[in-house]
Parts: sequence; C-alpha cells; structure tokens
Amino acid sequence: MSEHIIRTHNLSKKYKDDFAIEHINITIRKGEIYGFIGQNGAGKSTLLRLVTGLTFPTEGTIERFGSDNPKEITLAQKRMGAIIEHPALFANMSAYENLEVHRLQKGIPGKECIGKTLELVGLANAGKKKTKHFSLGMKQRLGLGIALLSEPEFLILDEPTNGLDPMGIVELRGLLKKLNREKGLTVLISSHILSELHQLATSFGIIHKGKLLEELTGKELDEKCRRHIRIKVDQPSKGAAVLEETLATTDFEVMQDGTIHLYHHVDDVRKVSMALMNSGLVIEHLSQNGDSLESYFSKLVGGAAGE
Amino acid sequence: MKAEFYKLYRNKTFWVVAGTVTGLSALLHLLIIFDWWQLSGTEFDQAGLSELNALSPFKLPLFFNLIVSTVAGYYIATDFSQSGVIKNQLLSGNRRSYIYLAKLLVFSLASILAAIVIPLVTALITVTITGYGEIFSPSSVMYLERAYCLFTLQFLCFTSIVLLIAVVTEDSGKTILFTLLLSIVMFAIEKLTSEPIIRFLYEHTFFYQFSDAFKISMSTGEVVTSIAIGAVELIVITSCGIFLFNRKEMN
Repeated sequence: MSEHIIRTHNLSKKYKDDFAIEHINITIRKGEIYGFIGQNGAGKSTLLRLVTGLTFPTEGTIERFGSDNPKEITLAQKRMGAIIEHPALFANMSAYENLEVHRLQKGIPGKECIGKTLELVGLANAGKKKTKHFSLGMKQRLGLGIALLSEPEFLILDEPTNGLDPMGIVELRGLLKKLNREKGLTVLISSHILSELHQLATSFGIIHKGKLLEELTGKELDEKCRRHIRIKVDQPSKGAAVLEETLATTDFEVMQDGTIHLYHHVDDVRKVSMALMNSGLVIEHLSQNGDSLESYFSKLVGGAAGE
Repeated sequence: MKAEFYKLYRNKTFWVVAGTVTGLSALLHLLIIFDWWQLSGTEFDQAGLSELNALSPFKLPLFFNLIVSTVAGYYIATDFSQSGVIKNQLLSGNRRSYIYLAKLLVFSLASILAAIVIPLVTALITVTITGYGEIFSPSSVMYLERAYCLFTLQFLCFTSIVLLIAVVTEDSGKTILFTLLLSIVMFAIEKLTSEPIIRFLYEHTFFYQFSDAFKISMSTGEVVTSIAIGAVELIVITSCGIFLFNRKEMN
C-alpha cells in the first residue's frame, strides 16, 4: 500500500479566467495531520473539493491512495470522510435520521454505528431534535459525525471549528488527536486560525492567492518560529566552541551551510557579538530571527504579495 | 436507492402533495358522479367510463406538471440548494451515474404514485363505493390498462426531463418555474403551430403521446410507435441527465 494518501501534481483549477489554485503540489502521508493554512479566499476549499472529487482539475493530477485514475475515485471516496465548507444536513431530519441516510448511502451494515457516532461527537442527547433547531456548533459536530460514520482512513475537514465554542474546539482537537493516535486516521484540516492548527497538525501547507507558498513539517515550522540569533562567522567550528566555552550554552545548532542558530541569549546580541569578536572570529552576519506562527505567516504572505 | 426511499419517506412535501391529490381527486370524482360537475366529450365517455371523467385533468401536462415539479422542487432540488447534502451523496463512494439513476427511479415512483396511482385508485374506490362498479367491463378494463401503461411510459420521460431541470437549476423555485414553462411551450406548440415540420416533430414527442395514449382505439402500429417514442426519449433524456450529472461541479 502507498504511504501517500494524497499527492497532487501541478494541480490547477480555473474559474473563467481566474486561477482559484495554481500548480499546487502537496503530499499527505499516511498517519499525518496535515494543516492547510490560508486566508479566506486563498483556495483552501477549492483544493479540498478537488481532492474529494466534487470538482475536477483544469490541469494536473491527484493521486488518491496511490492511484491517479479518475475512474477509481469512488474507491477512494469509500475510504474518506469529509466536511466541505459547512456541514451538509437535512434540516427536517434529526441527527439520528441524518446519520441513517448517510449510513444507507455508504452501505454500512447495522445501525449500531449511529449510536456510537452520536456518542463520539457528543450528540447522544440530541438524537431526536431536528437539525434546523441545532446551533452552529451542534451542526459542526453532526457534520463531523457524518464524516466519521464509516470509520474512514482519511478525514477531510474544512474549517471545522467555525461556530464551535472554546470547549468544543478543545474537544474536537482531542478527538482528532485520539483518532489519529489510536486508529491511525490521516487528517487534512484547513483553517485560517493558525494557533488552532499549530496545536494539532504534524505537517503544514501554506497557501496564498491560490499558490502553495511552503510545505513543511511541524518540527520545521517550530524551528522557523523559534526565536534565535543567526550567526555566520569565518570559522563555524570555532564559533561553536566559543559559544560553549564563553557563553556556557549548548542550545544552538550548526546548520549545513555553516550558519549557527543560537537559541540562548536571544535578547543579548551585543554580548554574543563581543564574545565572538574577542575570540578573533570575523562576523559575517548576525541577526535576530524567528517569530510567532502569526508573524511567520504574515511575513511569508507579505513576501509573496510583494513578489 | 435505500437512502433515496428513506429520504422520500421523510419528505413532508411529498406527503402533503399526496394528501392533497387524494382529497382533490376524491372531491372531483364525487362531483362528477353526483352530476355537480358536468364534463363530457372525454375519452372516458367514449369508453363508457363517464364516471371516471374526473381523471381527465390528471392526464393534462399543465395539471400534473404542478404535482411533479413540486415533488421535484422539494425532494430533488433542495439536495443541491439550501442544505448541500448532495455533496455527502457524491462523497458516499457510489458512482455518480448510480446516484442519478437512484434519484430518477425513486422520484419517478413518487411522481407516478402522486399523479397517476392516487387519482386512479381514488377513482376506482369512489366509483365502486357509490355503486357504479358495473362500468368496469372487460373491454373498459383493457382500455384503462392500455391507456395507463402507455401514459406511464410517457410520464417517465416527463419525470426524467424534470429531474434534469432540477439538477441543472439546483433550485426548487426554478425547477417548478422551468417545468411549468416547458409544459406551456409544448401546449402552445400543440395549439398554435401549423408548420408541418414542427407538427411532425411535436407528434413524435412524449408530450403528444400523453393525449394519444387515451385514444379510444389504437392500432398495433400506433401502440408500437407510442412505446418506441417513449422508450427512445426516456433513454435519450436519462443519458443526457447522467452525462450532465457526471460532469457537474459541486461548488
């Protein structure tokens, strides 16, 4: 079996003359929680609709579970669960009835899964209430229930925390982490709320105006967001020794290009530069780097906007 | 298919339409039987089934269109519009053509029930209860069987085209409006056009066959032609519907 659940190759979608997304290449590996970050209108939902097969690409291909044959999309859909944009519910039916319709559509044997799902998403006591009387948060929970009913291998959630109260957000995060950990569920989750994704996702794709700006792992993102002093000296190994001996710190990394990322003494640049100069090193570059996730995203998007 | 039946069973509009048609049909038949509404010159008169004259409105496209388009508007088009549940259906892992055919079948059965079966059964019950059961001679029963079989085949073409309109418009109001418009256009062609080519084409549509199905006598050739027109047009319209549905983008 392929380790890649989803892989897109130069995926583009054009509406009339405008590209909603352009030449997107993303890879979602089995077991990942992939956070798809972008502002409103960046193209997140367009990509999710393409991945689920609700719309068709203008250019490029999508590999789902290792197959890029469009005729096999129904096989892939059987292994997916999704909420795209907003939970799609029958307003005149109860939560139980909505799940029953979906159970019949998916051909899931036995009705036991309905009760279990209502329990799972915290709607066990609202089973008979018509969904038109539901709050937005309850609708989101039921939408999630529909997506999870068939115990999919791959879950796609488009802005799932819209309308959820803070406790609901925490519960959703906990539930997704649990399903990911215990059942190996792969998740693609889009949001424009960065802090929310940062706490959940293990990989990230950042999209802006239809273009993928960056794809990185959670660790890489943490590295980029961790505040540090970037040092470039003529002798990196000696520089590292100076930091250890003079500044008594080992909280730094020597990168492949020879630059040193120092995570200690970040607010004391003068002290660091003095220590290096006093050791006879030539400082070629020294700067403070690293930001909050929001600042990092703003810089990235700002940079792209300026291009 | 099971999901579509489940949805239909829980569709309020369908039950309201079915209830209204039952009441209306019973009322019209009682009015005819008790001579409070005098209707003559119908095909039923010629077949010796004058007590069934109240069935005449139910075979007019402009009339049954109201029943069919209402069911389509509130059973099919709402899946696309307000709730967007069509997305869940498309993500269920079933082929789009199967989803479309399941919708067509269940919608057609619902329409046949509301627009054909209920008026006919109401008529049979009303006529029997009021003591006119003797009108059902073997020949009149044969006539009813032939007429309603042909009518139902043409009716399937109509439900197929209404489903296509519902899928294209994705809106219950527009579905009702465009279906009504289609019926009016076909009615206008029938009544107003004398152009031979247009008349020839019209006579080979299922709309024309609706009235032909109730002719008191039909030759075998006419029956075969009617079946062929109904079957071919049903296949063509359904194929067009599947083609469009397969390529439909759900935004």
